[in-house]
Amino acid sequence: MSFLQPILLIGLPLALLPVLIHLINQHRHRTVPWAAMMFLLDAKKMTKGLARLRQILILAMRVLAVAALVFAASRPLAGGWIRLAGGKADTLIILLDRSASMEQRKLETGESKRSTALTRIADLIEKTASGSEIILIDSATLVPVVVTDAAALRDLPATAPTATSADVPALLQKAVDHLVTTESGRTDIWLASDLRQNDWKPASGQWQALRSDLAARDTVRLFLLTFPSVESHNAAVAVSEVTRRRTPDGLHLVMDLAIRRQGAVSPTDETTIPVEITLNGTRTVEEMTVAGPELIRLGHSIALGSGNERGWGRIDLPADGNPADNHAFFVYDEPARRQTIIVSDDPLTAEAIRTAASAAPDPAIPHVAEVVATTGLAQIPWETTALLFWHAPLPAPGTATATLLRQHLETGRGLVLLPPAGEGGAELFGVQWEQWLQAETTPLEIQWWRTESGLLANTRNGAPLPVANLDLFRTRLFRGESQSLLKLENGDSVFSRVIPDFSSEDGEDGEIGSAAATATGPLYVWGTLPRTDHSSLATEGVVFFVMTHRALAEGAHAVSRARLVEAGKNALSGYPDTEALSLGGDGDLLLAPGLAAGAFASGRSEAERRLIALNRPAEEDDTRVLHSEALDNLLAGVDYRQINDEVGSGASLASEVWRAFLLAMALALIAEAALCLPPRPEEASPSLKPMG
Amino acid sequence: MSEPHQRDFLDPAVLGKLLRLPLNARSPMMGSVAGRHRSPVRGSAIEFAQYRKYVPGDDTRRLDWRTWGRTDRYYIKEFEADTNLRLCLIIDTSGSMGYGEPGSTRLDYARRLAGTLAYLAGQQGDAIGLYGASTGFDRETPPRRGPRHLGLVLDHIAGLRAEGESGLVQAIHEAAEKIRQRALIVIFSDFLFPPEPLREAFQHLRFRKHDVSVFHLLDREEIDFTFDRPTRFLDLEGGPSLLADPSLIQRRYREAVKEYLETVNDIVNHSSVDYHRTFLDERYDEVLARFLLGRNPKTTRTAR
Repeated sequence: MSFLQPILLIGLPLALLPVLIHLINQHRHRTVPWAAMMFLLDAKKMTKGLARLRQILILAMRVLAVAALVFAASRPLAGGWIRLAGGKADTLIILLDRSASMEQRKLETGESKRSTALTRIADLIEKTASGSEIILIDSATLVPVVVTDAAALRDLPATAPTATSADVPALLQKAVDHLVTTESGRTDIWLASDLRQNDWKPASGQWQALRSDLAARDTVRLFLLTFPSVESHNAAVAVSEVTRRRTPDGLHLVMDLAIRRQGAVSPTDETTIPVEITLNGTRTVEEMTVAGPELIRLGHSIALGSGNERGWGRIDLPADGNPADNHAFFVYDEPARRQTIIVSDDPLTAEAIRTAASAAPDPAIPHVAEVVATTGLAQIPWETTALLFWHAPLPAPGTATATLLRQHLETGRGLVLLPPAGEGGAELFGVQWEQWLQAETTPLEIQWWRTESGLLANTRNGAPLPVANLDLFRTRLFRGESQSLLKLENGDSVFSRVIPDFSSEDGEDGEIGSAAATATGPLYVWGTLPRTDHSSLATEGVVFFVMTHRALAEGAHAVSRARLVEAGKNALSGYPDTEALSLGGDGDLLLAPGLAAGAFASGRSEAERRLIALNRPAEEDDTRVLHSEALDNLLAGVDYRQINDEVGSGASLASEVWRAFLLAMALALIAEAALCLPPRPEEASPSLKPMG
Repeated sequence: MSEPHQRDFLDPAVLGKLLRLPLNARSPMMGSVAGRHRSPVRGSAIEFAQYRKYVPGDDTRRLDWRTWGRTDRYYIKEFEADTNLRLCLIIDTSGSMGYGEPGSTRLDYARRLAGTLAYLAGQQGDAIGLYGASTGFDRETPPRRGPRHLGLVLDHIAGLRAEGESGLVQAIHEAAEKIRQRALIVIFSDFLFPPEPLREAFQHLRFRKHDVSVFHLLDREEIDFTFDRPTRFLDLEGGPSLLADPSLIQRRYREAVKEYLETVNDIVNHSSVDYHRTFLDERYDEVLARFLLGRNPKTTRTAR
């Protein structure tokens, strides 16, 4: 229970006044010599239990009435929320999920999940945490901000809507870090989220450490203000693989377009949606029929008129339950040359890769591959290289070579680490080569490979790559946090994607979360080589070709003059002099760069000019939420309370309930009056009756 | 020799007024001298009573010769015998009789009633006796006639003190045993004790052919119980005091009083006791006048 005027609670002992008055009255009684004691004794004996109970009840009612009055004057706060708070904390940390899915709103009120959560929390702060230190950490920036005015919480830039996704483990980790840094006392952590699985990342390795960190802190209480409902009247649009193609009919823009209807949609349910397509400022509307839950148009083609060799566009859906997923931006330009550099002193390996990388699957896009010896690093054209194969010992962090490789990754280009024959070198980006694994007589058994995503994913039509036909004879093991793409029977990974860890290089804490992950280019580790004594990659060319070009395509985005980038804190960090061409919302101009969806242009001169389209991450359209058992598992051992809320509901985290106390006081007084009522009047007093 | 007690309980004006009303017994009395009260013994006084057949041994002087002359049979002529009254006053002197303001306690009221009755009886030439009743039968003055004895009785009445527990029931039984001849026994008490033993005590008196009158002296406050704030009640008979909130027990108190009075009514009705419930705020001369008139056969007959 909390109070707006807790100082008045010092008047609570006044509730004992009736008891005190009763005791004083008992002591102030008069003394009367009495003869008719027999009647008194009889009356006392007869009324002993009942009268005492009545007297106790009367006193209790009086005490209750005074206590209720004092409580009412102290302006108590209650409701479904405040009783969970249990009292004022020294520090209140607000963790706000600012992902695009939090913009789901109630059509009648226009309130979104995010704004509802902010209103609730602002109300809570105003009513219960007026003296507490308020810290806001939002999922988009992960930067702790001290909030001095709770009323302005909704107007802070750090609480505005974004097109990003959230990383809840990273958000909680930031809160824990803040607790460690500031040595906060009693702390309440309020996490507002829509419980989307893609935000909570239940498979993340961070949860174990978080659980132990939070469980070890007795003074920390975690409150989850969750909005798990999914708006059924909502459709999301997304574009990908946007390329400009020159055909005999002229220039065309080819893209993969997806429109997904959320909620429970029957496969036979069909609806027509007017889709607005804006190309360089010119709008057209096209009716698209969505049968079932989604419409996917692969290779959707839009004719570009003359003078539209480069430009930007957006696709908009009509207003619905979530405005944040109603638009998708794209940019296009002359396709960039896909250049691959192979740093290797092994001619066999280098040649195999060069052959695969230089073969162009699309004749419209030129592919170039060059081999550079380990002694000729200065010859590498870093600016135009989309993918770099590093077949040499890993350079020590801090060296010039390591720095160049890091910049290569940080600008979004791809890097594939191949196992050197001899010394593995230092640990770089969290990766370190270990010993070789050699097959005895038969090739190493492949146990599993990742088919849903990554270099070895199935083809678009769902057919698997012929990975099972590969023969692996020799592979080099490595150490590092990675996502395995292919595993041997003994559990060792041969191909992996690695989340680059720059902390060992510059001594700082590496950025955790989507912002860092989406900004850096792909980093792969291949344990084997396209040599016949290592594997059949070169001879069974399909898998090797696909792997090479998928890695190249990822890296090619960075060198392209027009890029589709997922919104995030560092999404525009590599692009100086950025200007917005089109934005998703009116308030997006005020947002930090990279957080809002939109089309942007970078660079002052025409030669430097790049076009960037920022869109929400594709996983934001995944409506799966974390169910309660999964949440319990994630936070096992942590003292947490979950409060499920509805968007735009009128409930408050803390509502004043002084009326209830006044009502209680009135009821107590009525009960007291009823108990004090004299007995029914007798027909006549005994003394007035006729004498015998 | 102790100083004679003050007899301020006798009011000459009241005495003068009540002297005109005779004190009668409701049943024949067995007196030792001639008086104004009927006697159960047939004698040779003035008022004719009846004829009865002569039996050997009868005084031949009382034969009615005229009747013999007319009927040739022997009849004895009998007359009513008038005798004096024995008035025995039993006054409860337990602590509860001290209830009331000094000078107007229940015992003071009883003194006025008893003293006035004693005086009236003395003036009629009746014998007067006095019995105090508390835990012991401490004041006992057997009934005698004469102005000197009257003075002694009045002194004893003046000297009564209210103290100790009530021994009234025992006193009545003892009085019933000690007073052998028929008498008018007048009891003054508050009867503030469980009333059931009174039934046997009154029947004991009635068995001895006594004419029993009772003045039940009560204060209205004791009946109505109109206290309005917590009060500590001190037991006048020395028992433990009791702290009570009257508002909580008033109803039950009144119920107990009502039940008690009904029991007393039942007892006195079944014992043929001349019962007078008297409140201390009533004028005692009116109470006595009502008592005396109630015992006058002529007024009683008229009233009926």
